[in-house]
Amino acid sequence: MKILVCIKQVPDLESRFKPDANGVWFSETDLAFRMNEYDEYAVEQAVRLKEQLGDAPEVTVLSIGPDRVVEAIKKALAMGCDRAVHVQDPAVHLKDPWQIASMIATYAKEQGFDLILTGMQSQDRGSAQVGVSVAEQLGIPCATTLVGFSYADGTVTAKRELEGGVKGVVKLKTPALVTCQLGLNTPRYPTLPNIMKAKKKEISAVPVAELLKSAPLAQTVSFHAPAKKGSGLVLEGDVSELVNKVIGILKEKTAVLR
Amino acid sequence: MEATREIYWNVGHGVVWGMYLFAFLAMGICAWGFWKRLPVYRQGMLAQSKVLRVLDPGALHALFFWSFGLLFVGTLLIMAQADFAAPVLGIVFLKGAFYKLFSLVLDVAGIVALLMLGGLLVRRFFVKPEGLQTIRDDYVVQGLLFAIILTGFFAEGIRMAATEIGTNPGLARLSPGGLLFGTFLVGMTPAELSLAHKIVWWLHFFLAMGFIAAIPFTKLRHIFTTSANYLLADLGPKGAMATIDLEDESAEQFGAASVKDLTWKDIFDADACTSCKRCQDRCPAYATDKPLSPMKLVQQIGEIARETPEANLCHSVGEDVLWSCTTCRACQEICPASVEHVNKILEMRRNLTLMEGGFPGDEVRTAIGNIEVNGNPFGLAYAGRGDWAAGLDVATLESGAEVDILYFVGCYASFDKRNQEIARNFIKICAAAGVRVGILGKEEKCCGEPARKLGNEYLYQMMATENIELFKGYGVKKIVTTCPHCFNTLARDYKDLGLDLPVEHYTTYIGALMEQGKLQLAAEAFEFTYHDSCYLGRYMDIIDQPRAILKQAGGQISEMARSGLESFCCSAGGGRIFAEEKIGSRINVARVHMAKDTGAPLLISNCPFCLTMFEDGIKTGGVEGEIRVRDLAEIVAERISQ
Repeated sequence: MKILVCIKQVPDLESRFKPDANGVWFSETDLAFRMNEYDEYAVEQAVRLKEQLGDAPEVTVLSIGPDRVVEAIKKALAMGCDRAVHVQDPAVHLKDPWQIASMIATYAKEQGFDLILTGMQSQDRGSAQVGVSVAEQLGIPCATTLVGFSYADGTVTAKRELEGGVKGVVKLKTPALVTCQLGLNTPRYPTLPNIMKAKKKEISAVPVAELLKSAPLAQTVSFHAPAKKGSGLVLEGDVSELVNKVIGILKEKTAVLR
Repeated sequence: MEATREIYWNVGHGVVWGMYLFAFLAMGICAWGFWKRLPVYRQGMLAQSKVLRVLDPGALHALFFWSFGLLFVGTLLIMAQADFAAPVLGIVFLKGAFYKLFSLVLDVAGIVALLMLGGLLVRRFFVKPEGLQTIRDDYVVQGLLFAIILTGFFAEGIRMAATEIGTNPGLARLSPGGLLFGTFLVGMTPAELSLAHKIVWWLHFFLAMGFIAAIPFTKLRHIFTTSANYLLADLGPKGAMATIDLEDESAEQFGAASVKDLTWKDIFDADACTSCKRCQDRCPAYATDKPLSPMKLVQQIGEIARETPEANLCHSVGEDVLWSCTTCRACQEICPASVEHVNKILEMRRNLTLMEGGFPGDEVRTAIGNIEVNGNPFGLAYAGRGDWAAGLDVATLESGAEVDILYFVGCYASFDKRNQEIARNFIKICAAAGVRVGILGKEEKCCGEPARKLGNEYLYQMMATENIELFKGYGVKKIVTTCPHCFNTLARDYKDLGLDLPVEHYTTYIGALMEQGKLQLAAEAFEFTYHDSCYLGRYMDIIDQPRAILKQAGGQISEMARSGLESFCCSAGGGRIFAEEKIGSRINVARVHMAKDTGAPLLISNCPFCLTMFEDGIKTGGVEGEIRVRDLAEIVAERISQ
């Protein structure tokens, strides 16, 4: 069995974001990077499946981006993935989700994976399109927002999170693709022997040009902070007077009383 | 011919005297040499100084020890007299004035030993201090010792009744113990006395032999194991732990998974433990109903080593036990047997963390993840680390400014609103003293201490090496910290990773500025109580200097019962600052109540972790409005005389 996990390295969301020089993405100055949280669930689930099947499956982790993404790849290897593919692309932020998906699909088609796991979405761009687009391009079944996963005899049983806490269960025959949501598992903390072992695992570098065959379908036009809205207003004084003031403001500035 | 050879062939028997003379001389020099080195082997056993630190049972034990020791020396003298000096050399030294002294000293020693033993018996079996475990050994030891001393006096009394009381009353008075027994026996016939003496003498003899034979099988073993432990104890800086070589790719086992991964001393400690429970009495975790007792932990390790050496140590001991420790070191500081508790716990934590990816809770997992990504446990943007200094007279080293000291701010003073006051006030103090202060700003990372104490040596070394590279790159000459945890780590732990710079805590640094006259305070009266943080007090022995500063600032101190080396932890050490306290009651609340009970309206601390815990403890402990907590830097800064 061959498993592929797709991960993305994203900036920590507590970071201070500023638009880059072109105003189409964020500048990387002063940003701290980490593995996309949802992708950690994907890595964990892949490693658990490998353990369930007596270490038989080979788990490959793939990430697209500049050299810094190797840090995220190393973490995935330390968590238990067997080998890694680093698609080297310093301009990954300029690719749209369709292009990212088609690169992954091109790679996956050659390798013939039985199961592909991705995060539900990335924490930075948040399009939630890459996973499903990979499945579409490979022509394999796909289930999204997994909060439960089991596998037996070529069938994945996936518990999905629906609106309002409702859950749905779907079964997929492999080859298949799933996208992982918070609640699926608690990603393990890599042990030191595994961190050491990960240093010796293979990370094959693939130039982006080898996999990039399609043009973008959507172009990011602008990246900016939301415009500053008016500040809050503190009213003081007698209650009956305050009530009148509030009604006045509601009439004047909102549509609720019309 | 029978197999043998002529002893002293060719040399002649005439040399024997000279030979023994030189042999004794050589042994004398040897003994003298060790005597000279004794201070190197440290204080301890004979002085009973560690035992006496807790005076109540300690004095009983010490007096018993010394008097029983004298009785032992007395018996040795008798052996030397009767079996060597008299038959071999024809010398009798137990006579005359020396014999009188000998007789009196030994009798008094016997009486003192008996009284102390009685005192210890009352304590153990009638007073029954809380937490004191009484086992079979205690009955055996008490019974044996009482029987030995009583039969000793009894045999002496019979002998005196037969040979001394009537004929030489002057000499008999110098054996008051024997006299007391003998007086009741003078009515017996010589034949009765002779028979009784034989019986009691042999009884005394066999009891004494029984005592020697029982040593390894009962608590009496501490006579050897505890004294040996003084020699085996770690003399390095307090709190030092082995720095794991992370470059060693052949290493596959980290921390202590079984007793086989512990040191010889770690297991020996279990036998050196005398169950005096002093550690347990001082353990903040034990005091607040957590499953940890340092005494029981150490004994359990011994038990596992004897009975199930293959067992997984961490799981046998229990994860909750291991995670309960705040590494406050109160146990180790007080231990009269030089048992080393803390590093055992840390080695087991290393195993849990590095080999199993374990954490005391998910909140700790998050904090550790935050340190990995942003270099601080809060998960706040690393770029904001220096923001607290905006508008203050501080340079970042990145700017190339010339500075006198590097202020290593630490995570709490950098990011936590309340603790930023410590940082700002420290800068104010330095400015008043004309000290040029530099910081690393966004380049600074967590010192790694909480991670290390949680067992995560890998993350600790990652943080440490990055910080050390910065110190070296900027040619830093001196570092001052406001956090005792950073202080210990930079000053001691970083040495193993190649940093050798003077590092100081701000309390002693401010003290020195005042002494040099660079900083003048306008004293303003206030009442306070002072909390010795574990890592400044017990770990660094900095106890008087902060008090002296506060006194000069106009402070009138009301000490808590637990202060100085006996201080009670705030609950945040050992990485517990990140952990929710889910078991038992809250340590910080207990400490805040101790502070409140002094009647002082102000609690002064010297550590960001303590300040955080006490701010919280005052609120959750229901003493808001009765006591406030402030940092020493805040008090000093308010009193700078312009």
